[in-house]
Amino acid sequence: MGEMVMHEHGGSGGKGSSDAETFRHALHHVAHFLPAQGPIGVFIHHNTLHAFQDRPFEQAVVEAGKIFGNEPYLTEAAYADARRQGRILDEDIEAVVRLEEDAVLIQGRIGRRELRRRVLLAGSRQVPLPTLRWHLEEGGWLTQFRTDLPTKAREALRQDTPRALWEVCLARTPKAAADSARIARRPAEALKEGRGIDTDAVVHPVLIRLAGAFLDQGVAYWPMPDREDGLFRGAVRVLARKPALSPQGLAGMQGEFERLERLGTTAEEAALECLAELRVPKEDWESLLQAELQALPGWAGIIHELEKNPLLAPHEKLPFSLTDFVALRLVLTVLAVRNALGNASGWREWTVGGAAPDPLERVAVVFDGFQALGISSADAKALGGAEFVRLAEELIRFDEWERRRLLHLAYERRHERMILLPLTRHLRKRAVPSQKARPVAQMIFCIDDREESIRRAIEETDPRIQTFGAAGFFGCAIDYIGIDDANSVSLCPIVVKPGHSVVERPAKGEAESHQKRRALRRLWSQVIRSANVSSQTLIRGFISTVLLGLLSLFPLVMRVLSPLAYGKAVRWLNDRFLPDPRTELQFMRNDAESRQATEGLMAGFAIQEMVDRVAGLLGPAGLRAGHARIVMVLGHGSTSINNPHESAYDCGACGGRRGGPNARLFASKANHPAVRVGLRAKGIEIPDDTWFIGGYHDTCSDQIELFDLEQLPSTHARDLAELRKTLDRVRALSAHERTRRFELAGTGMDPETALRHVMQRAEHLGEPRPEYGHSTNAVAFVGRRETTRGLFFDRRAFLISYDRSGDPETKSLAGILGAVIPVCGGINLEYYFSRVDNEGYGCGTKLPHNITGLIGVMNGMQGDLRTGLTWQMVEIHEPVRILFVVENSPENVLKTIRANPLLNEFLENRWIRLATLDTATAEVRMYRGGGVFEPVEGDEVPVPTARTSVAYYLGKLDHLPVAEIDPGTGVTA
Amino acid sequence: MWDCFESGLNLPVKTFLLLALALPGVLFLVSGLLWFLGVRPSERLVARASQAVYVFSAITFTIEAIRIFTPGDLGLEMQLGDWFATAHSHFGVPVLIDRLSVPILWLTALLMVLVSAFSMRYLHRDVGYVRFFNLLNLFSFGAFLVAAAGSIDVLMGGWELVGITSVLLIGFFQQRPEPVGNALKVYGYYRIADVFLIGAVLLGHVWFGGVEFAHLPAAEGGASTRVTVVALLMIFAACGKSSVGPFLGWLPRAMEGPTPSSAIFYGSISVHLGAFLLLRAEPVILASPVAQAVLVVVGLGSAVIGTLTHRSSTDAKTLLAHATQTQLGLIFVEIGLGWTGIAMWHMGGHAVIRTAQFLRAPSMLHEHHHVYRASGGDMKPTGSHLEAMIPRNIQVWLYRLAIGSGFYEAALERLLIQPVCRVAGWLSVLEPAPGPRKASTDSKH
Repeated sequence: MGEMVMHEHGGSGGKGSSDAETFRHALHHVAHFLPAQGPIGVFIHHNTLHAFQDRPFEQAVVEAGKIFGNEPYLTEAAYADARRQGRILDEDIEAVVRLEEDAVLIQGRIGRRELRRRVLLAGSRQVPLPTLRWHLEEGGWLTQFRTDLPTKAREALRQDTPRALWEVCLARTPKAAADSARIARRPAEALKEGRGIDTDAVVHPVLIRLAGAFLDQGVAYWPMPDREDGLFRGAVRVLARKPALSPQGLAGMQGEFERLERLGTTAEEAALECLAELRVPKEDWESLLQAELQALPGWAGIIHELEKNPLLAPHEKLPFSLTDFVALRLVLTVLAVRNALGNASGWREWTVGGAAPDPLERVAVVFDGFQALGISSADAKALGGAEFVRLAEELIRFDEWERRRLLHLAYERRHERMILLPLTRHLRKRAVPSQKARPVAQMIFCIDDREESIRRAIEETDPRIQTFGAAGFFGCAIDYIGIDDANSVSLCPIVVKPGHSVVERPAKGEAESHQKRRALRRLWSQVIRSANVSSQTLIRGFISTVLLGLLSLFPLVMRVLSPLAYGKAVRWLNDRFLPDPRTELQFMRNDAESRQATEGLMAGFAIQEMVDRVAGLLGPAGLRAGHARIVMVLGHGSTSINNPHESAYDCGACGGRRGGPNARLFASKANHPAVRVGLRAKGIEIPDDTWFIGGYHDTCSDQIELFDLEQLPSTHARDLAELRKTLDRVRALSAHERTRRFELAGTGMDPETALRHVMQRAEHLGEPRPEYGHSTNAVAFVGRRETTRGLFFDRRAFLISYDRSGDPETKSLAGILGAVIPVCGGINLEYYFSRVDNEGYGCGTKLPHNITGLIGVMNGMQGDLRTGLTWQMVEIHEPVRILFVVENSPENVLKTIRANPLLNEFLENRWIRLATLDTATAEVRMYRGGGVFEPVEGDEVPVPTARTSVAYYLGKLDHLPVAEIDPGTGVTA
Repeated sequence: MWDCFESGLNLPVKTFLLLALALPGVLFLVSGLLWFLGVRPSERLVARASQAVYVFSAITFTIEAIRIFTPGDLGLEMQLGDWFATAHSHFGVPVLIDRLSVPILWLTALLMVLVSAFSMRYLHRDVGYVRFFNLLNLFSFGAFLVAAAGSIDVLMGGWELVGITSVLLIGFFQQRPEPVGNALKVYGYYRIADVFLIGAVLLGHVWFGGVEFAHLPAAEGGASTRVTVVALLMIFAACGKSSVGPFLGWLPRAMEGPTPSSAIFYGSISVHLGAFLLLRAEPVILASPVAQAVLVVVGLGSAVIGTLTHRSSTDAKTLLAHATQTQLGLIFVEIGLGWTGIAMWHMGGHAVIRTAQFLRAPSMLHEHHHVYRASGGDMKPTGSHLEAMIPRNIQVWLYRLAIGSGFYEAALERLLIQPVCRVAGWLSVLEPAPGPRKASTDSKH
């Protein structure tokens, strides 16, 4: 199985290779198209169409759309709505059409651009094939022209009748050639067409049952026997047992598997046998395997992911193999086909496709297009034969996906101007204030878009505080084990492999209380676990439901009716009975120990390593000297109850986990005297009275926890007390800003109530939207906070601190862009695809989700594993590609990106958008591809101003445009 | 004990009780009518109105429960008027408020308060929000009716309401084929089971002159075959509602709906109504040793298959469905053995535990992480010491049996469905043959 993965792409697969090689090659190739999502407990955001990233975005969405049957963009109706709301302006449509390749259609009268412009501006009437005849005969299409036409078109049609125009179109529109019929790609397709038999309905229940049992990480009371030998062997062993009764559609299953067991057939051999029995010619293997895998992409995908990296499995590291899955699928399919037809090769008699499309549909498109273009029946008659055909074909080729592509570009163009124009204006209006006075405090957050509001709230509440943004693992890629943890986890971006381990341990003199805590927690876990198991089995279930059943009413009533009180009660019990020892991080390198370290993991950090990591964060962020007395570093994560996707809300820079330990570690390092000395050598002067504090921000409940406060010098107690007061205030403000999006919160909450509201969301058993996660993310700003400070970004911007003044060679920029473009781009694209096709690319509504095997969710009892994001996560998302705004010169930025092939692919294939910003000249330039930057000018976007953020957003539910928050001005919002 | 007990009851108590029983139905009618007229009420209004009704019911039934369990008070029977009467039979609308119905009414109302509070959040912004609450209201009216029915006639009305709302909620996500398909399957099971209940009603009227629970014991003096037949019909009807015995196996299919409806239907109230019917008809069943034996065998068989399948289930909802089936089987056994008190406690405790577990099903991963961390990674399977004594080959075969759900559905398919289809196929020669299927064009839509 390892062989298959190692197998080189290309070369083999031709005529000369063996069957096994061809099979491996084909499988290896089609596996690329499977969703790349691992077990759901650790959710890593990535570009859903990662397999297509080597192609331009617009091409990739269409190709993928055809393979998967998914949507590439929002619906045409959604863009029409956006136009009505002013979210797309006519000038945007005109601008994007101008960039299209032109072609002459009718000499001197109309070209491709003009045609597209006019069709888009008029909008297209949907041509619904099933109801087309009704529209023509009874629905009024032939009695009245469209009523939404532009004046010019309406003028041209004034003397005309729809019926006359229809007649001309009907007579002159060329008929389409029939699609050629093809042999079905897989048996199920053929049998559905030919016999109306759904073999998937027979195969899937058994396959899903077995795959689920094999992958299960600890739900079932009985694990699958012999699964250590892999899915195929295990399944063969189980299904070969007799006596057994197979479902009608799989009669003979037991005998077949008994044969496989007796012969000791391997998965690959079985698959090859099946392909032979199904009489699939070698050149069609790939398309058959592709179709078979795509029938249940979720299950196939997770097995493929686990095969690539078995360590992703939370508990059971098994010999995962996609070959096993495919072989099992094929064996069952052969059985199903044999049962349906009597033999396994008969399915190739039926072809699919080959029907001529309804000619009326094409006529209707032309008819509708002519109205939009203002071509009357007389004009149409006057056209020469070739001219008419050219025009008609052009209209037909400008199909829905093409129109949606242009509408989407217009949608993104407006977004880009709604961001960049206010930014330019903001820069011109206000020379960047050079803050000479020492700030009261400095706070470093994760770059996460969700931290934008709390940073703004801090700056508004106390302008003497500065905020910064850095990727939330804070340069500490660690393998970490906390005091309450069962095993260690990697806290760093998924692409990084941690090289250092850090352990949380009880502080001196706390060992005893730690022991007690551990013993109590063990006891608790055993009680909970056996209560849970025993309520479900036969005899223990009888005893516990009869005797104890009614007692569970009390926690249930409390949890549902008053989740906050329940949470409080649990915390009270914990405080009362569970010892809470003081802890510390063990992060100093002990050379003797680390020499024995296995797996290349070193215990802790040496001084120089710490210096490098601290400098690597402070330097690029511009924190080189004059630090405040308190510098606070806050990691983040998100806690919620009713949420299998909980991890998707955690810190992406910490690999879908919570970044508290990283912040704590960073602060400990930066406080270390030897590290301070080393930093000085690197040109970073931290004043002696500066103290770093690590902390953790829960983006769902807006709680902030601070670490190691007992180490704080007593001289700083007052500073901290002041800062805490501010923090309590801004937590509430941040919660308040978030609640504007929650309909259930209503309007008119004060900040304190809002804080309670979000806390309740985190603890509510029935809350499918604990928070909105990265929903609405659209911008990533790489530059100094001074540049954007005072602008309201509506929690839609990643804010990455970068000071170009200390980075003449763009080394820091390369580091920053190398991390944030893949991370933010991946998040953004996952949201994009899950939003434009939530059932296809996303995982649909949460409500029927059913957790299976602790690795994923499916709908109902026997469905495919669902990948991507839930509807509740993306419902308010605006799908636009992320707009990077980098504060540096176009040349520097381009040079930096070009030097990194991955970033270059993101940029040149247009998976992200890029603009540069020059603070000195207040000039913003947008990247147009091919090395060309274009200045962004214009003043059609008003910039509202308000005294405070609250005054601006209060009572508004929708996305808000960028505003200037300036306590000195009046309100123009 | 079935005598009417009418002493010292003043009007308000009756009125309150009747209001508590009827209000969910009234709410459904009003809301449905408004919807029909094009009024689209806000989420908040719909949810608040439903909650108010359930809170009212819960309080009323709580008070009634306290009253009824004070010594001496045996409950009351009310005649809500006559439906119609024939020469042989009389169809009244009797309502029984006694020590059997009140606990069920109380539990239903209380769980509805919880489930509606949960759903208010859970279904927020879903397109089917109002539909969901309407169905929930209709269901609770049906469940109240079953619980308080004084005759099988009246019970049957509630029984059908519970059935149809159950089917509609399984198919709640109408745009996907699987839920609708599974809803249809469950509908099929329900309809077949209903035939048995209708049979019981019919024969009860013909043989005993009425099916009021209060008068059923009179049958004790009658021919024992008659009693056995009616008892068996009721047992099979109850099996259908509770996914037990011949109707084994639909319970996991019902998991397609939203989580809160899974909780209230298949974790707690709806599946226990079958057992409730048997408790109501207990005198008839206890009069027939054959019926008792059938009940014990059927219940035990279901419990064993249930627990086997449960052991191999790997997803949150199927796991709970089979665990539920196991205990339902045991409850049937208890009723068959005549352990009424234990059966009552078992039903109540089981309903509450399962509701809690279903509502927590989406949090399974979160809870697992917590327990796993606290355990220090020590999550060895429990109870394996007994199983280790079984020979390995038999263990694997038992596993095969478990993932095949006891082969019950396969057997049903081969022994019942397939022959019926074949007969239907033969019958089709009586009809003009439909044109041959065109392979490529027709089947598209």
